[in-house]
Amino acid sequence: MYSDKTHELINFQSVSKDYKNLLALDKISFTINKGDVFGYIGPNGAGKTTTIKIIVGLIRDYSGTVYFNGKDIAKNHYVIHKFVGYHPQNAGFQEWRTINHVMYTFGLLSGLRANVLEERIQKTLDFVDLLDDRDKKVKYLSGGMLQKLRLAQALINEPEILILDEPLSGLDPSSRYQIKNLIKLLSKQGKTILFSSHILSDVQDVANKVGILNQGKILRIGTPEELQNEFNIGNEIEIEYANDNKIFLNVDSLSCIHTLDKLASNKQVLHLKPEFNLDNAINQILSFLIQNKSKIRNFKTIKPSLEDVYLKYVRGEKQ
Amino acid sequence: MNLRILFVDELKGFYKSKVMLILWFGMPFLTLLLHFLNPDLEELPVSILVALLISSIGGTLSAALLSTSIANEKSHHVYDLFLVKPVPRYSILLAKYFAVYLCLIIATGISLIIGLIIDTYTSGSVPDYILQNTLDSLSISLAAMSISCSIGIFFGILVSSVPVAVILSVYIGNQVSAVSILATIFIDFINPSIFALIIGVSMTVLFIGISIIVFNRKQF
Repeated sequence: MYSDKTHELINFQSVSKDYKNLLALDKISFTINKGDVFGYIGPNGAGKTTTIKIIVGLIRDYSGTVYFNGKDIAKNHYVIHKFVGYHPQNAGFQEWRTINHVMYTFGLLSGLRANVLEERIQKTLDFVDLLDDRDKKVKYLSGGMLQKLRLAQALINEPEILILDEPLSGLDPSSRYQIKNLIKLLSKQGKTILFSSHILSDVQDVANKVGILNQGKILRIGTPEELQNEFNIGNEIEIEYANDNKIFLNVDSLSCIHTLDKLASNKQVLHLKPEFNLDNAINQILSFLIQNKSKIRNFKTIKPSLEDVYLKYVRGEKQ
Repeated sequence: MNLRILFVDELKGFYKSKVMLILWFGMPFLTLLLHFLNPDLEELPVSILVALLISSIGGTLSAALLSTSIANEKSHHVYDLFLVKPVPRYSILLAKYFAVYLCLIIATGISLIIGLIIDTYTSGSVPDYILQNTLDSLSISLAAMSISCSIGIFFGILVSSVPVAVILSVYIGNQVSAVSILATIFIDFINPSIFALIIGVSMTVLFIGISIIVFNRKQF
């Protein structure tokens, strides 16, 4: 079977997978186009790793069809591996190996010839900033260096798509920053990336497309902006009053206010009704405050973050 | 092609492991020690004693080494990275088996040569019967060690806990590999070397075959 859409790189069509009594994936369908950075998010146990293992060929007994570049991966596993770089969540390396040895072995197993391998290893290790440590044994590497090595081995065959399973989990802030920068760099180079995480902020400023997965089902797919706009959570406005201010807003003051939180004696957060236009609501609020001669120190609008959207979806507030 | 890459790879890993260092240097040292301690061997040539010792110690160590390494690598998801490459699962197990077995053959060879040199040195020359007995012992040792290695792989694949895998592979490896020596003690109508080789090959094929089937069905 062939899929004919030329710009599609990966296409899941009604894929399900169960582990005895547990339904890990429930008829999921989605597409990743060439050049996409696809943030695949969901809580732990949502089915992200199962999806990824299907693409890389570690899981082959599933129902439905997965196409890679128009070809059914179930029938073309040994061809597709050439185009896929896989960064597993927790995969280890044999401890007696050095970084160089890891790269050499995976390079050879990817089908690279010895004459191009050395140059490719240098280039890749340089990219992930491990070149100076190439003779270090795996057992002496820090968590951040191990993640870089996992990324490096995934890049050794210059794959068409890079599949990163929780690449930032368990890292200290500095390593997270470094790995995230590498991913951004790869995306700038036009690499197609599937990037899973259970932490939304990890994918928020990297992905151009986000898929939210929960309990084996894809709840929503779209660009981060689409998700934020579509999910009508409502905006918030934070008002800080001067210490000697006497007139405060309350829920009944204005029709645009849905609820109101008092953060401190002189600080309020207004949750606006979703159906209200933000500009009109600001006008209403400012007019009220001016008319009542409220003394304001600070006034700022807070737009819903993708994190809010994600939590609303995962908690089942929007199906 | 990929079996060769993995075999060379595993060889690089195993030959400098602590267990193999014991075999490389410990066994020849033990051979020399036996000569200098001069125990009462009741006219048993040093080379034969060495062959028996090697099959016992070498088999035990290699079974423990293989089961530990496989159980550990399974739990650390080492194979996930190999299996997304065009690597048939059987080649991972065969590469390990051949790498360890080759190391054992070399260690056995070194120790036996030292044993033969000692026998030549002490008795002037090596009589034909000693040579024949040594070759018999060698074939029995190789058969027993091959069985032990395959049992190490079998329990490494089957069991998730490293200590349990080691205990089972060492204990059952010792018991099962002893079958290859049966002919020397109880069976008269067949040459002990031929019996050991037949048993060694068939047991090895059986255990590695089952290990491959189990490994192929494993979900990663």
